[in-house]
Amino acid sequence: MKKIIYILVFSLSFTLFSQEQLPNTTLKTLTGSTTTLTEIAEADDLIVVSLWATWCVPCKNELDAVADVYDDWVSETGVTYYAVSIDDSRTAKRVKPMINGKGWEFEILLDENSDLKRAFGVSTVPYTIIIKSGEIVYKHTGYTPGFEDELYEKIVAFKN
Amino acid sequence: MNKHILAVLVFVISVAIHSQETETKSSFDKIGDRLNVSIESNGQWYLNDEKFEDFDEEERLRANSYLRIDYQISERFSSGFQLESYVPEPLLNYSRLFDKEIGLGTFYLNYSTKKLDITLGHYYVQFGSGLLLRAWEDRALGVNNALRGGKVVYDPTNYLRLTALYGKQRKGFDVTESDVFGFETQFDIADAFQLENLNSLKLGLSYVGKKESYNKAGLIGGSQPTIEIPELVNAFGANLDLEYKNLYTNFEYIYKSEDARLNNVIPNIVTFSEKALFDGNAITWNVGYSQKGFGIGYTFRRLENMRFFSERSFLNLNNNPTTQLSMNYLPALTKQHDYTLANIYIYQAQPGLVIENYGTPLIKSGEIGESVDVFYKIKKGSLLGGKYGTKLSLNWSYWANLTTSYSDPSGTLYFTGDDLTYETELLNFDDKLYSEINAEIRKKWSPKLKSIFTYINLNYNKGFLESKGADDFVNAWIGVAESTYKFQGGKSVRLELQHLSTNDDARNWAGGTIEYFFNSKFGVYLNDSYNYEESKITENTEIHFFNLGGSFTTGSTRIGVNYGRQRGGLLCVGGVCRPVSKNTGVTLNLVTTF
Repeated sequence: MKKIIYILVFSLSFTLFSQEQLPNTTLKTLTGSTTTLTEIAEADDLIVVSLWATWCVPCKNELDAVADVYDDWVSETGVTYYAVSIDDSRTAKRVKPMINGKGWEFEILLDENSDLKRAFGVSTVPYTIIIKSGEIVYKHTGYTPGFEDELYEKIVAFKN
Repeated sequence: MNKHILAVLVFVISVAIHSQETETKSSFDKIGDRLNVSIESNGQWYLNDEKFEDFDEEERLRANSYLRIDYQISERFSSGFQLESYVPEPLLNYSRLFDKEIGLGTFYLNYSTKKLDITLGHYYVQFGSGLLLRAWEDRALGVNNALRGGKVVYDPTNYLRLTALYGKQRKGFDVTESDVFGFETQFDIADAFQLENLNSLKLGLSYVGKKESYNKAGLIGGSQPTIEIPELVNAFGANLDLEYKNLYTNFEYIYKSEDARLNNVIPNIVTFSEKALFDGNAITWNVGYSQKGFGIGYTFRRLENMRFFSERSFLNLNNNPTTQLSMNYLPALTKQHDYTLANIYIYQAQPGLVIENYGTPLIKSGEIGESVDVFYKIKKGSLLGGKYGTKLSLNWSYWANLTTSYSDPSGTLYFTGDDLTYETELLNFDDKLYSEINAEIRKKWSPKLKSIFTYINLNYNKGFLESKGADDFVNAWIGVAESTYKFQGGKSVRLELQHLSTNDDARNWAGGTIEYFFNSKFGVYLNDSYNYEESKITENTEIHFFNLGGSFTTGSTRIGVNYGRQRGGLLCVGGVCRPVSKNTGVTLNLVTTF
């Protein structure tokens, strides 16, 4: 029991910190080439990265909701939305037909052995972050109906 | 173990001190920027329940907790570790390897440049689709089979990647006796030869070896080996990926060299048959086509004797229900469903070689099966599409036991012989284990109202999959309707109704969920699965399995509380399952990252 307390105390001493630097994790594109968030952030100033999976209902709800308004988001803010699938080999083959079948127009990346998920210390998906000028400026775990509106407000706020 | 804790504390303290001594705000921020901390804690307080026997284990209050810290030391170096705690005891049904332990689970030091990536310490890795090698972590399943050693990934050109690794696999808070070697090369043919007609053409070749001495002394019973049990088990894999316009296909083949088979005369005692050796193999093939608004994919997979553990004795799944020390990833390829009633009859992959030794031997040497997925979006403005379009998805899958014939020269009336051998047929789907067809329709009625309708019809060979006996099928269909209504200010309500209809097994179930979000941060829910008919499955007859709880989320922190009664069965994440026993209690989950 003592040990737990130690760990809690030491972990609390870290609450002052927060990660803003992007991890160097390799991600796959749908055509099989590789990239990293750092590379992506160099090309685009304002991006949203959302970790999701084909088997995760709230993730699909979030992406469906964003897909409905994505055209407006792009024209209003110039944001690029990256949906990073953490599907492993069991379901990764479902990603491509699913995103096309659903008509989603965002960028899709694959994190097949959950390297990025681990690098972010994420336990559950969906997990959504906003990256502005190469730094993580906003993080959110989970999806509740209407979260897309809140996310959009944040994007607009960071646009400037 | 205490040494490890000390080492970690020293590190933590030094970082903390370093940061506190840094006076200027900019340096302080810099350290914060480079540090990533995440905490997860899942606790449960087990209660007695009048519907069950009393909870008779000593510890009623248990928790699994994880603290992970990663630190970017410089542009090229990073380091990190994970502390884990399973005191006073791990949650029910977690591996005994973690009993009452607290300490350093994993640690690593990484050096990374554009061309070179070197990791010392624990690492996670996957070759191909993981059929040959996958080191990964899943806390809900209690899986962490990281390798501890060294891994080098080198990209000499942009179309070639070479990976070499050596390690010992994590076993509880320790590592195994055995050694694992691996090598993989990934060659981008389309890129190397500038094949511009193709979107992609890639070849991957891989090798994994496991070196483990055969420890006769550690085993009970068995006869004197008449053949040599190999110390080194070699596995080779090849995969080819091709993409052309809207078409894609992928083929993978694995061969695993011969090893002894488990001889389970007495279920919990580990012995091996020492007169015959068996090799294994796997074939998977995917092909698909997709365009805007339409996608279709087909998957075929055949697995024969593909269980691959870093210690042979872990092949005995009676002693190892959570598949600790597995080196490869063998998920079921059926669709994963989210609804409670759709998770009663779940197909679990049957990749291993199991020979039931009694009388006429029952040989399970693997599985064969296929599945098809279709996704279609009915256009906006059409009759069925309505104002927002309608999204359809269909899935069909079929899985069978491999058809085998055997020869048993020295078998007796009651037991099979140690020199039993078997043959399989390559493409025979006759010995059915499971089939399923399901359809999902997602419909947005207005900006505020959305619905999802799901229909599942399944055939589950309970006799074979659960009681290991003769075929005994459960035929069931499940219907689910759910709707979400969004109010102003992040308020929303979700209602879900489910029904499972069958005349077999525990017969009919009804279920439902109501969930209300007061705002985007705070929500509560109530769900129930009710078996409302009498059946021969008394433990699941006329009983409510309910959950009542709430969650609070702010930024990347989430706290969840739940009170409920859980059905015994399988808990599956990503096609890998672990058995869970029925229980009643209060759970508290905390997840946060800084």
